Amino acid sequence: MELTYEPRIVGFLCNWCSYAGADLAGTSRTNYPANIRIIRVPCSGRVDPLFIVKAFQLGADGVLVAGCHPGDCHYSDGNYHTRRRVGLLRPFLDYLGLDKARLRLEWVSASEGKRFSEVVSSFTDTLIKMGPRSS
Amino acid sequence: MIETIRNKAKEWLEKNDGGCVIGYERASDGMTARPVFIYKPYMVGSLIFDETCVHNLSKYLLNRRGLKTAIVVKPCDSRGINLLINEHQLDRESIYVIGVVCPGMKDAHFGRIEDRPLSKCRVCLHHTPAVYDVLVGEPQPETASRDYSDVARIEGISIHERNAFWKEQFERCIRCYGCRQVCAGCYCQECFVDELDPLWVGIRSGPEDNWIWNIGRAFHLSARCIGCGECERVCPVGIPLMLANRKLEKESADLFDFEPGMDAGTAPPFATFLKEETLEKVE
Repeated sequence: MELTYEPRIVGFLCNWCSYAGADLAGTSRTNYPANIRIIRVPCSGRVDPLFIVKAFQLGADGVLVAGCHPGDCHYSDGNYHTRRRVGLLRPFLDYLGLDKARLRLEWVSASEGKRFSEVVSSFTDTLIKMGPRSS
Repeated sequence: MIETIRNKAKEWLEKNDGGCVIGYERASDGMTARPVFIYKPYMVGSLIFDETCVHNLSKYLLNRRGLKTAIVVKPCDSRGINLLINEHQLDRESIYVIGVVCPGMKDAHFGRIEDRPLSKCRVCLHHTPAVYDVLVGEPQPETASRDYSDVARIEGISIHERNAFWKEQFERCIRCYGCRQVCAGCYCQECFVDELDPLWVGIRSGPEDNWIWNIGRAFHLSARCIGCGECERVCPVGIPLMLANRKLEKESADLFDFEPGMDAGTAPPFATFLKEETLEKVE
């Protein structure tokens, strides 16, 4: 039997939208790859760039940060701050030799269980195509 | 030039009893400069200013919060003062800024001053301080075009080469934290690297832990780094830290149209946002 490469994704999901979206995907029996390990955070704004870097350091192949759509944040503006941070961190990690496709920022609302499964599937596919991290 | 600095320092000290002038004096090697703290008007004679005054003195202001202090600054260091005022670390009223128009600095190695200016001076844009109470020297026009050729060179190589390049650089790090200690922007009471729970950065200086430290350091200074180049200057193993800082400087200028330390009022990019902006999200 040939061993297949299964990437490990650390997913930081906001409590109010994306985590509920993932929950909906589960309760409505929508399939999504088991490659994602979900960490629930109170808001996507809670995601310190250090969390992301630490996840990569500990061997994650990809990191997904998911939060409410812009304008829908439970705390009004947490996701706007995340957008700026991740927006700057991605090109920086790429510059340091960590492909920016390995870090994703997505907006998934509580009603988008299907979208959550699509996001995780497409991210997993991308990571399988990219192969294991060289560093 | 130096007479003006000495006179201004003397005038200020005579008016402000108990104040301190932070400036440069000749080091004991008779060639380089070192920081000096002057409390008495008759001592201003030791102040100097020339191309050896590489240090960024603005960090010393943090030790004199709320105390009357005068400081001699180059244009890049003056941005450090703006940064600290902007981040509510200093109040402008207690500081008297003697801004000096900068001719470009030269570092000394192995007992002689180098011929070439420091790398940061070769790409410097602002030759006149961003903040000053008294300006010494004639205001110079700004260099119009930004030179990011060093950053572009790294951007131009493949991702595997970039990975290998930075791995090699960070592997040398001995985690002395000199870059942090000298940085005007690094004033946290407890640095993330000193935290034990959670242990962000492992105790040993292995490649992975060096990687997270160097990324963490650079990213904490994203859109805050004033480009004084002190981190790179003090690095005992010669890691090109400014190469990382300048990438973030370039990106934050592109994404947020922000240049740190140019004034003390503009909200820093991570403290604000625009609802309508879209940052490149996914490939």
